[in-house]
Amino acid sequence: MCALGVSMAEPSEDADLVRSAIAGDDEAFAELVRRHKGTVLRSAARFARNPAELEDLGQETFLRVYRDLRSFRGEAPFGHWLSRITVHVCYDALRKRRREEKDVSLEVLATPVADSSTGNGPSAQLARMILDQAMSRLKPEDRLVITLFELEDRSVREVAELTGWSESRVKVRAFRARQALKRHIGGDDER
Amino acid sequence: MNDKRHDRRDVELDRYFALARLAPPDISGVERNFETRVMARIRESREPWYAWAWRLAPVFLALVFLLAGWSISYSPAHPADPVTMLASGTQEVALLENLTGD
Repeated sequence: MCALGVSMAEPSEDADLVRSAIAGDDEAFAELVRRHKGTVLRSAARFARNPAELEDLGQETFLRVYRDLRSFRGEAPFGHWLSRITVHVCYDALRKRRREEKDVSLEVLATPVADSSTGNGPSAQLARMILDQAMSRLKPEDRLVITLFELEDRSVREVAELTGWSESRVKVRAFRARQALKRHIGGDDER
Repeated sequence: MNDKRHDRRDVELDRYFALARLAPPDISGVERNFETRVMARIRESREPWYAWAWRLAPVFLALVFLLAGWSISYSPAHPADPVTMLASGTQEVALLENLTGD
């Protein structure tokens, strides 16, 4: 895995496949999808609410890749370029559904998180569910940044590269998202 | 007091993140044959406009049948009054027949 969390295996072959796909070889593009679908779907799954939405995000990402294939210059590995497109597709989806998620019930947030070392804490699955619900209240930019930063464990520089935003903007967004999440998860007693 | 609460919330949030990182999303269902579905959508998006025209053929056919049925069943009432016929100016032959008694 490289710095951006994408597969670096056989980068030259990726470039060959891109060239073949541009020339009209469908099988070459199918091979690119086969190689990178895991990375794309794992990233998109952090933003999707259900398998159907994940399927849509994944397909939209590869359709956009197919449309813009000629703009891939090959200066950076194909995986980096693909990750940027994935992030942009997910960001667009977050902005689209912002309104729908405003009314999500946050009753589940009252569940306390015990120390995982004691073995009495909530399952990882439950933690994900709680975070998902709390993050659904964030602005799309904040949610994108905090997901890449905290759940995908990427650095500020990587997040800046993926989103195309400045590092200072990423830091500000991450800080605001964290503050908002603390408010949502801890209740509103801070106000 | 307030700072302590902030610290507690930071720790709690970090715990959530750490736990959530332990549970990678399950993508196995979507991953299966994903490339086949992507390629199908790509082929679909590449179809020329006339491929869509052929798909609309049944709609056009139904429209033709509807119009044909309507035109067969449509029979406008001929005005019996010769003056009305004269005023409309479109029923000259019928008017002539009416006046000559043919």
